[in-house]
Amino acid sequence: MSTLPRIGYVGMTHLGICSAVAAASKGFATLGFTPEDDLAAALQTGRLPVVEPDLDALLRVHRERIGFSSDPVRLAECDVIYVAPDVPTNDDGSSDLSVLDELLLLTFAHARNDSIIVILSQVPPGYTRARCSGGRQSLFYQVETLIFGRAVERATRSERFIIGCSEPTQPLPTAFARYLAAFECPILPMRFESAELAKIAINCCLVATVSTANTLAELCESIGADWSEIVPALRLDQRIGQHAYLSPGLGIAGGNLERDLATVVQLGDANGTDVGVVRAWQANSRYRRDWVLRMLHARVLAMTEEPQLAILGLAYKENTQSTKNSPALSLLQALSPFKVVVYDPVVTPQSAWHPHLTSAANAIDACDGADALAIMTPWPQFKSLQPSQIARRLRGKLVIDPFRCLEPAACAAAGLEHHVLGRDFAL
Amino acid sequence: MLTHRHAEPQQPSRVVVLGSNGFIGRELVAYLREKGTSTLALSRKEVDLAADDAVDRLTFLLRPDDTLVFLAALTPDKGRGIAPLLANERMGAAVAEALERSSVGHLVYVSSDAVYPFRAGLISEDSCAESTDLYSAMHLSREIMLKQAAKAPVAVLRPTLIYGVGDTHNSYGPNRFRRAAHKDKRITLFGKGEETRDHIFIGDVVALIDRVIAHRSTGLLNLATGYSIAYADLAKMVAALFSEPIEIACTPRQNQITYRSFDVTAIHRSFPEFKFKLLEQGLATVQQHAKA
Repeated sequence: MSTLPRIGYVGMTHLGICSAVAAASKGFATLGFTPEDDLAAALQTGRLPVVEPDLDALLRVHRERIGFSSDPVRLAECDVIYVAPDVPTNDDGSSDLSVLDELLLLTFAHARNDSIIVILSQVPPGYTRARCSGGRQSLFYQVETLIFGRAVERATRSERFIIGCSEPTQPLPTAFARYLAAFECPILPMRFESAELAKIAINCCLVATVSTANTLAELCESIGADWSEIVPALRLDQRIGQHAYLSPGLGIAGGNLERDLATVVQLGDANGTDVGVVRAWQANSRYRRDWVLRMLHARVLAMTEEPQLAILGLAYKENTQSTKNSPALSLLQALSPFKVVVYDPVVTPQSAWHPHLTSAANAIDACDGADALAIMTPWPQFKSLQPSQIARRLRGKLVIDPFRCLEPAACAAAGLEHHVLGRDFAL
Repeated sequence: MLTHRHAEPQQPSRVVVLGSNGFIGRELVAYLREKGTSTLALSRKEVDLAADDAVDRLTFLLRPDDTLVFLAALTPDKGRGIAPLLANERMGAAVAEALERSSVGHLVYVSSDAVYPFRAGLISEDSCAESTDLYSAMHLSREIMLKQAAKAPVAVLRPTLIYGVGDTHNSYGPNRFRRAAHKDKRITLFGKGEETRDHIFIGDVVALIDRVIAHRSTGLLNLATGYSIAYADLAKMVAALFSEPIEIACTPRQNQITYRSFDVTAIHRSFPEFKFKLLEQGLATVQQHAKA
């Protein structure tokens, strides 16, 4: 193939949009397809329905190479077509694959016979091989490793590509290989089932590390230790590594990791293998999610009449508008009798989340008259808040700051009772 | 975790308390009557659940809109052998059969945290229950037989160690420590009192049962405070309630040290406004009543 292949992305949710913009940024003519007319029109005018650092700028720079359409006939223009809708999950982490199935059938119907179709969505092992007979085109599966809040970085500078194939010993089709080569990273072809499980394996390793951090951080809170002092020692251990997920948090959120844990439990049960450790991770996640609620009850709700609470952050993590399994929303649900004032830089509070919810114009205003402040999402702007200013606005002095957005010493100097994950308050 | 059938608390038509003469029963009946809740108190005198006519008598007394709170049981201080097991099972079977014959609007079964083995670690409603002795086997089988028999929403409550003024038991813990301190000026610990336990005040137990009734809740809830304390520290706390010095004596350890702690998030989520009585306050309340 002398000219660059044309790339299509089907399904314009978080994964599809970020991946399509990344394709254009590598110099490929790219089509973003969605069956929703309004969404296609909005994207065509540059309005993005997702929040990701650098995404708007990247789209502007490479605008001439990317188009958006709701006309499936245009898929015939594409040499490589990624089917990439986000796959929603229910409360127990199970996937609803119906949207992916519909879009895959649509793609089979409109793609050329010589097009390459690649499933990029999150699918359970066995999914891709079961769809191999659905169309005339060659079908592949590619592991996505999108991280909310770092999606552009992940899509443009991949560590490696894991490619599920029906015959991994055969070379990849030229157009597909050429597209992947543009990202200049190792390419690992393997059986469909191995690739599908590789995605889950990555997430299980992440959860294992997070769960270890959460478990030991909680112990730190009781025995006079500080987890933040331990983390650098772990990072210097080559078996753990510089980039390991060692920061304690409020359980697993966002939906993707929970989905993979649910898949492993379901597969293990169905195949009679031991998945007890995965169940333990799930239980630990549920338990850590409620750390702030327990702190609030122990430190303020148990002894305050008509308490008022300030909550900063609603998104499940910084730099995203996603609230899927967000600890903040879970907390709000458990605070229904109390007056709560919230602020999030991106997420608009909804009355369904809490019966007495008030929205503040900014972070510091949310603190006005509150008996306690909980910083539920570590947005970068919260890190620049001055503890002395917070202390002046609060009625009480309790600050629950799981992610250590504020400096403990500065909080102590401001007279605040500052609690962070992994650090004994008595220190 | 509980699910509330009534999002807002509602006054029940009538609460039938089965086992009204026990430690929890007496407190609960007094609490409900104080609130003005129509309450039918049934002790062994009114309905002997071990008697042949128990099912008939109970069936006759129950109404379709009743909330039945089932507390009656031979507690471990009456023995943990086969005879109390069979007697307790027979009582449970009688209630289950009455529930099959008639219907009530809501069933609250007060079980026990004995259904959790000590190796369970931090206990929540997700923890695995397991029969480690005949007493825990009895509560577990009663839970199952009642859920199977009842056509109404069922709430199963598993309280941990309860203390309070009317406690007639003399189990190792706050009540025994206080009596021993009063009588002998000495509290005797097993070993050095290293074991940790969660102690819940009787007033909190009945207030939580009342909330379960008012919300017509269904599901499982552990009744604990989330605060565990070593027996040695508990002994010091009790001793501090007396003006004269109380000796705290250690004895050679006979048994392995065990720990028990609860994650009470489910209580916070089910009843966000509920405030536990602090252990210091609860012990002081008991002491004041004892002096009076």
